[in-house]
Amino acid sequence: MSEITLSELEKQYGETTAVEDVSVEINDGELLCLLGPSGSGKSTTLRMIAGLETPTDGEISIGEDDVTDRPAYERNTSTVFQDWALFPHKSVLENVAFGLKMRDVPAEEREERARAMLERVQMGSYDDEDPTNLSGGQKQRVALARSLAVNPDVLLLDEPLSNLDKRLREDMQIELREIHEDLEETFVHVTHDQDEAFTLADRIGIMADGNLVQVGSPNEVYENPKNRFIEGFLGDTNFIDGEVDRVTAETVHVETELGREIVLPTDEEPDIDEGAELTLSLRPEILSIDQPVSAQSDGGQTVLADGSTTNAVIGTVENVLYRGSTVRYSVSSNGTTMFVERTGASTDALTAGDDIRIDWNGADVLAFRADGTRVSL
Amino acid sequence: MTSNLHRETFEDVAFRAGYLALLVFMLLPLLVVIVTSFSGSGRIAFPPDSFSLVWYGEFFESIRWLNAFTNSLIVGFGTALAATVLGVMGAFGQEIEDGSFGKLLAPLVLIPLLIPPVILGITLLMYFNEVGLRGSYASIVLAHTLWATPLVYFVMRSVFSRFDWQQLDAAHDLGAGPIRSFVQVVLPNVKHGIFVGALLAFIISLQEFVMALFLSTPNTETIPVLAWTEIRQALDPMVSVVSTFLILISVGAIVVAVIATNLEWLSKQLS
Repeated sequence: MSEITLSELEKQYGETTAVEDVSVEINDGELLCLLGPSGSGKSTTLRMIAGLETPTDGEISIGEDDVTDRPAYERNTSTVFQDWALFPHKSVLENVAFGLKMRDVPAEEREERARAMLERVQMGSYDDEDPTNLSGGQKQRVALARSLAVNPDVLLLDEPLSNLDKRLREDMQIELREIHEDLEETFVHVTHDQDEAFTLADRIGIMADGNLVQVGSPNEVYENPKNRFIEGFLGDTNFIDGEVDRVTAETVHVETELGREIVLPTDEEPDIDEGAELTLSLRPEILSIDQPVSAQSDGGQTVLADGSTTNAVIGTVENVLYRGSTVRYSVSSNGTTMFVERTGASTDALTAGDDIRIDWNGADVLAFRADGTRVSL
Repeated sequence: MTSNLHRETFEDVAFRAGYLALLVFMLLPLLVVIVTSFSGSGRIAFPPDSFSLVWYGEFFESIRWLNAFTNSLIVGFGTALAATVLGVMGAFGQEIEDGSFGKLLAPLVLIPLLIPPVILGITLLMYFNEVGLRGSYASIVLAHTLWATPLVYFVMRSVFSRFDWQQLDAAHDLGAGPIRSFVQVVLPNVKHGIFVGALLAFIISLQEFVMALFLSTPNTETIPVLAWTEIRQALDPMVSVVSTFLILISVGAIVVAVIATNLEWLSKQLS
């Protein structure tokens, strides 16, 4: 069994704190993605699991064993590095067989196993090559084979795809996913690329400033972010600042910089006071756009029969940005710029200067307090 | 535009010519030494009255010179070995764990180079007398190591700074302990640098005179020490012969070093 338990992990370099508090249980056979911006401590956390860094505080156990003070070479973890770190003076086959050699596997057997692993990553015909002559994608495959050859309890991936171009990266993501399903080993994958995390992960752990902020399934962290940082980090959104005007049993009314009151329906009495500052998140996918048809629909909000509310604002298209499959419009309303998206198939293309109406369901809006925490509505 | 280009080219040429002239002027004495070693007469004169190989014959018949030659080689190899082990380990250790002691290491290692060799020679003579190493090869090897280690250390610092340390992480990660990872992964990457460092230590030892003068006995005297003693008695072309050999060894070592460091590059170009 190779579940990993990190408890209150901390790593300091002199005065700098790289990792402040990371506690998580990673299940056996799970693929956990640590996602966060650069400098959030995700790589340091991974290196502590690998044994390449010693935590200044906290504990790491793999399976039943406390491995906190065990050096990397005494742990059955294996890392695929960002720059792959292939040994340049060894052939591809020698690279892949290296870990087995260090485990004193007899020469014939380790060559056989290394060849099998190279076949597995479709690099079988490159065994005699000098790794420095390979392309990025090929190096990546060899590095993966080298790490998998030792049959590790845990495979650690430190942004190994970040140096590949987009197409290759997407292919490798699918391949990694397949390998993970085949091997049923525990994988911990570090990335700053949210698409990669969503593609690969069973669960995503989001890191910021050395802390593990939220762990959950991709769907959960996206739909139900714990704080404003996560909402902003996962995908694009419009943050609209406002102030709570009044709170009723069913609704929260927020006076916003859009010059309109936005109404948020609530299930329970929310923990928020009148006059409190809020930031609302309006994701482009909850916004629908229309040309304003008549004077009576010039914005405002209506409470629908099911208790949810529809809000709308009128704005002027300022910019049109073609992004291939989608078109992004930057819209100015009451001096505030928002962006909305449409799939490219939409026929009635809008151009700069057009007046449009943006609608959304108030129930889809997320609200955050000034300190970043989410208001549960 | 064109005249500007022309002027720059002219300045380039002038600079190169000046540089070359300076280099030739400084290297000319070496040529004089080599030419005088082929002198046919008993005194050093340039150009020589007649040419012959008579002094080379004398050299190979002189037991004293041949002994000094052997002594120089023994001390040179000893110094190369000791200085390389110390210098490589120091630089490697500092890369692995750059603590507060590491910051002190560079200036500390430099100290022997900054102390006049006369003072080092006298102090070491007294010191080795106390510990019973006087007159041994070890005493000269240790003295020369004091000088050669900083040079190997600084060569290795620069070699290690170009090493991709993630490889060491990868080796540890794949189960290689400290010694195996050094031998299997670090060494193959830096072996040319180590070789160059060792060669440098060897040459330093070969030409060092002042400390060797204090520490050697007639049994352990090195070539520079014997040359000094001989010159004080008679300035004959034998000194030129010995100097020619020293120049040849140094040039040979440089050529070997260049070949060694470029061999990999060369093989890549050929394949």
